[in-house]
Amino acid sequence: MADDLKYGYKGAEPTQSFGNNTGVFDPNDINNLIANNQWTTFGQLELIETKDITVMTANIDFTDIKENIYNVHFITANDVTSNTTGRHMVKQFSTDGGSTFVSSGYQYAQQYGTGAGSFGETKSTSASFLGYWTASISPLSNQTAQAYSYFYNLGDSTKYSFTTFQSSAWYSTGPNYQMIFGSAVYPSANVVNAIRLKSDSTSSFTGQFSLYGIRYS
Amino acid sequence: MGKLVQVATNTVSSPTASVTLTGIDSDDVYMVTIVGASPSSGSDEIRIRVTKDVAGTPTPQTTANYDWADKFLRASAAFINDYNTNQTSTRGTGNIDNALNGGNGIFYLYNFNNSSEYSFITIESVTYGFSEGRGYQGGTVYTVAEAHNGVYFFPSTGNIDSGTFTLYKVV
Repeated sequence: MADDLKYGYKGAEPTQSFGNNTGVFDPNDINNLIANNQWTTFGQLELIETKDITVMTANIDFTDIKENIYNVHFITANDVTSNTTGRHMVKQFSTDGGSTFVSSGYQYAQQYGTGAGSFGETKSTSASFLGYWTASISPLSNQTAQAYSYFYNLGDSTKYSFTTFQSSAWYSTGPNYQMIFGSAVYPSANVVNAIRLKSDSTSSFTGQFSLYGIRYS
Repeated sequence: MGKLVQVATNTVSSPTASVTLTGIDSDDVYMVTIVGASPSSGSDEIRIRVTKDVAGTPTPQTTANYDWADKFLRASAAFINDYNTNQTSTRGTGNIDNALNGGNGIFYLYNFNNSSEYSFITIESVTYGFSEGRGYQGGTVYTVAEAHNGVYFFPSTGNIDSGTFTLYKVV
């Protein structure tokens, strides 16, 4: 729409913002308002990036997590396989955009339970990763892991960064089913701007990994 | 995967006794996020009540009808089966040491709009308190069959100094 008739108004145009769009909009207006984060769109679980890892990969890094936009992030992991026997997938944070990843000082507390009736707790105040995100899996038929994790405060330089998580997997020991749920903290007031998914030891993985942001949280 | 529609949000920038989020008016599942919630007292937790419309005013319900069962996850001590019945509120987060850390969590709300069912909440929260990471995972129920239009958050003592509380509808 011509600038002299912006949003259908002559002269002073209405201020546009989420939840308060006023006027008549053509496609270019809408695209521009979306780009400026001023257009009301529902569906506030917003996909940031999906990594479909089909070749065994040791480090699956999300380095454009848009921590300046989202206070809460959400990651899903689906159909995860390992090329080494008995490996968990774990998470680490980076504060330098993914050049390096923090490998000490995490705290976590998590519960596990198996289909064979074994339940227990795993915890640490000096870990090199943010807890065991999945059960240990092996390169055997049907041994896959599925998981999700929420992240909080990653972009806030004044607060610690936190995560909660849950997973469901076919466990390498037994073998049988294993579930895990838990929480973890990176007790350092820093901006976290990249997330690494990797093994607790040497291994590589395939799977589908999606990072979302929960807007306006 | 469904979509989230923001219904209400409240960012606390000065001390306040409580935060109320309302706008539950359908039978959809709703979700609440809490990010960086810090109470004024050094080791408080964030507690929850459901709200009911009373003559046009969202009113936190204080009758002794809250039951909960959570796994209290601790980074430096044995985990605790945390449960109770017939309480006047329910626990949303673990202890929160100070403003640097904050309480965080995801809460799903079920049956709030249904006047003939109890209202249920699942809890998944994480904090840093008493020098350890702490998590709560479990659920709670308010055992009164009536419609509820929102949730009310408050610290066990004092005020909430900061934090963002947001209510979404899952559609």
